[in-house]
Amino acid sequence: MRNVLALVTVWLAIPGAPGQAQDLQEILDQGEQTFLVTCATGYCHAAGGALGGGASRLAGRGFDQDYIRRATLRGLTGTAMPGFGEVLSTEEINAVVAYVAVLNDIANPSVGDMVLEGTAPAASELSDEAVEGRALFHESVRGFTRCATCHRVAGSGVPAANPMLNVPADAAALRAMATLDSVSTATVGRESMPALLVSAGASRTMFYDFTSPPPVLRTVDNDDVSLEPGNPWRHDQVLGTYSDPELERILEYLRAVVQIN
Amino acid sequence: MSRALCESPIAATVRTGLFFSLCAALGPCVQAQHMDGATGAEWPHYGGTQSAWRYSALDQINRGNVHELAPAWIFQTGEDADAFQATPIVVDGILYVSTNHGQVFAVDAATGDPIWHYRYPPPDPNAASFILTRPQNRGVAVSEGRVFLGTYDNHVVAIDASTGLELWKVNVDNTRQCGCLISGAPLIAEDKVIVGGTGGDGAHRGYLTAFDTATGRLAWRFYIVPGPGEPGNETWKGDSWKHGGGAAWMTGSFDPELRLVYWGTGNAASDFYSGDRVREGADLDGPVNLYTASVVALEVDTGELRWYYQEIPNDVWDYDSAYEVVLFDRMVDGESRKLLLHMNKSGLTFVLDRVTGELINVFSVAEEQTWISGFTEDGRLLGRREPREGESINVCPSGLVGAKSWNQMAYSPRTGLIYTPTIEICMDVTARQQEPIEGRFFAGGSASVNLPPGREMISHLDAYDPLTGERKWTLPYRYVLVSSILATAGDLVFTGDPEGFFFALDADTGEELWRFQTGAGLRSSSVTYQIEGRQFVAVPSGWGSVIGPMTASLFPGEGEKWRHGSALVVFALPEASH
Repeated sequence: MRNVLALVTVWLAIPGAPGQAQDLQEILDQGEQTFLVTCATGYCHAAGGALGGGASRLAGRGFDQDYIRRATLRGLTGTAMPGFGEVLSTEEINAVVAYVAVLNDIANPSVGDMVLEGTAPAASELSDEAVEGRALFHESVRGFTRCATCHRVAGSGVPAANPMLNVPADAAALRAMATLDSVSTATVGRESMPALLVSAGASRTMFYDFTSPPPVLRTVDNDDVSLEPGNPWRHDQVLGTYSDPELERILEYLRAVVQIN
Repeated sequence: MSRALCESPIAATVRTGLFFSLCAALGPCVQAQHMDGATGAEWPHYGGTQSAWRYSALDQINRGNVHELAPAWIFQTGEDADAFQATPIVVDGILYVSTNHGQVFAVDAATGDPIWHYRYPPPDPNAASFILTRPQNRGVAVSEGRVFLGTYDNHVVAIDASTGLELWKVNVDNTRQCGCLISGAPLIAEDKVIVGGTGGDGAHRGYLTAFDTATGRLAWRFYIVPGPGEPGNETWKGDSWKHGGGAAWMTGSFDPELRLVYWGTGNAASDFYSGDRVREGADLDGPVNLYTASVVALEVDTGELRWYYQEIPNDVWDYDSAYEVVLFDRMVDGESRKLLLHMNKSGLTFVLDRVTGELINVFSVAEEQTWISGFTEDGRLLGRREPREGESINVCPSGLVGAKSWNQMAYSPRTGLIYTPTIEICMDVTARQQEPIEGRFFAGGSASVNLPPGREMISHLDAYDPLTGERKWTLPYRYVLVSSILATAGDLVFTGDPEGFFFALDADTGEELWRFQTGAGLRSSSVTYQIEGRQFVAVPSGWGSVIGPMTASLFPGEGEKWRHGSALVVFALPEASH
């Protein structure tokens, strides 16, 4: 592949890196690397777009570059091919599309006019502290005691808690947040539990049981549940694994996300 | 539990390979083992019972009359399906079956008449990740009036078994973040419903999670990769434990007497490159990257680890030890032993004492075995051929397909044999160092499958003595056998093929006695049950899944004929003949 491409080496501008020129071969190398770690795991495509993977052969199929770009960004409906527009950066998409284009005998692929909308937000849009806060919000090592167990922010996490309408000023305010207005007490049989009402239908009531993380969305016949306003449950009960400095960074992230949205 | 009726022991010399199978000659004494893992009129659990025998004591359909077997009814799910993979569950005359997209159907098990239909909501397009484009579902669990479904977006849902209405729903993980989903059927163990998840080829730390069946509240979580300060974490290099894999993506077993849950765990991540997860100078004969590539025994109350047995220390082939765990009892050296049998994708099959985890025997079912030069009686791997950085090597079996896929074997106490399909496919594999990004693929290399040269028959269905590994009969097949095995007291073994045939074999000889074209390739698990005195055999029909097209592409001009679909085909003897 390199020998062939050596003949078509050109200089092209890379979006997102103004003024920086890059050899096509470098872009294709980057595209190959992205392809190898993202697409060519074996369960999906095989390395080099060859046969023998779980998904179709990609090399030598006669695809044009617009088709490759559309499929890469948005996926292919009705197939297992997902869109990578929200997964890969613009640079990665540019490179991998060019790489697959070359696999389809497009000797001089375009890399400079990429559709940019829908790609993952660049980390550079967030402060360093907010980037740390985003990681803390989702941190897997905390198991079910991470924020994302109950909150959905920027499309990520479980929307058990009500959407955030404001962001507390600091960690102390976050810990002291009043919950009396939203958390009720549900009694099912003989057991009472902190509950967040989701819907009360003609025959069934749906609520989150907040007894312990993760919250459980219960649906109970109206005859079998009673809901009373108020509960001793406090947000502070589920913040145990976070220190105040960590909470400050999470709040910084939340403020940034609200601004972005 | 039944008392052993036969006092004649199977004398076996553990780890010497010198086994004297007296019961194999005596026959009936094999039936008189302690654990009864057979199903009766119902098919209550994924593996038949929690022992995962996939064996039914029903014998109305038997080798004398199976040639009369005919369709009784067919249920079409209507789903545009990528493989109909489920194991139906039959309880109280109702059959429950799930589809890849999270639909659950309850139908009259005698007639196929619909009772209710539950439809899990389609994925939120904003939350969709690559994994959502190919949802998989292999079945539900049923217990005390509730049906439990693991979903393609990592929820566990409890559904009222009589109405189909949702009772509770809980999220197990953020799909987009973990790159994982729940494809396996949940396991019921006492008052808990236990699920694993996929993600073993991604940057993800595997776990098992147990919820209270009544309330949905978390009972416990067992991280397959231990965290800092926990025993086993020292087998990981640096922070590699955070994305160490080990996903337990299939369904475990449960011994109610020992009150232990048994589960197979997946490969370590990254799959093919281990330089960033294995400590310098680690002994590959000892534990590496715990508790991946292992069988674990957990206390049902707490999820606490009782014992583990690691089958492939430093698995760099994606040989995933995630498959079913078959619990059975046998006489060993004159002593009744509680055992388990477990096979991973390499085809190595381990017989362990399920009380202690002690190795009793290990044998291999793969005929094409080039990843090692051999193994010792105490389970050590010899002559490992590991993937190399930047250089492709060919090894057999393939880690992508495996010497066996996730479809399950069967164990018959009547013949004392296990019945299991083996696939002889190899792979070209290259290792590559890779930085983990949580939830993204983390294979640490690339692999593609290919056929071993000069081999006409790519699969074989075999009967083995589960203690000695002695093969009793073999039935070769041209393509891939990736449908579960069902054994019955009618001395029959049922399974299917990608061409759409569902067939019955003589359990003693492997002779084919009956076959039926179901209209689509088989990638599922058949079951049998009895309603008002009539025995039924049900098989979901529909080709696909990840390895469906992968293996079809190996047979150009032939594999294209293996048809997708989503129909449950149910057989019985003509009403007058039983």
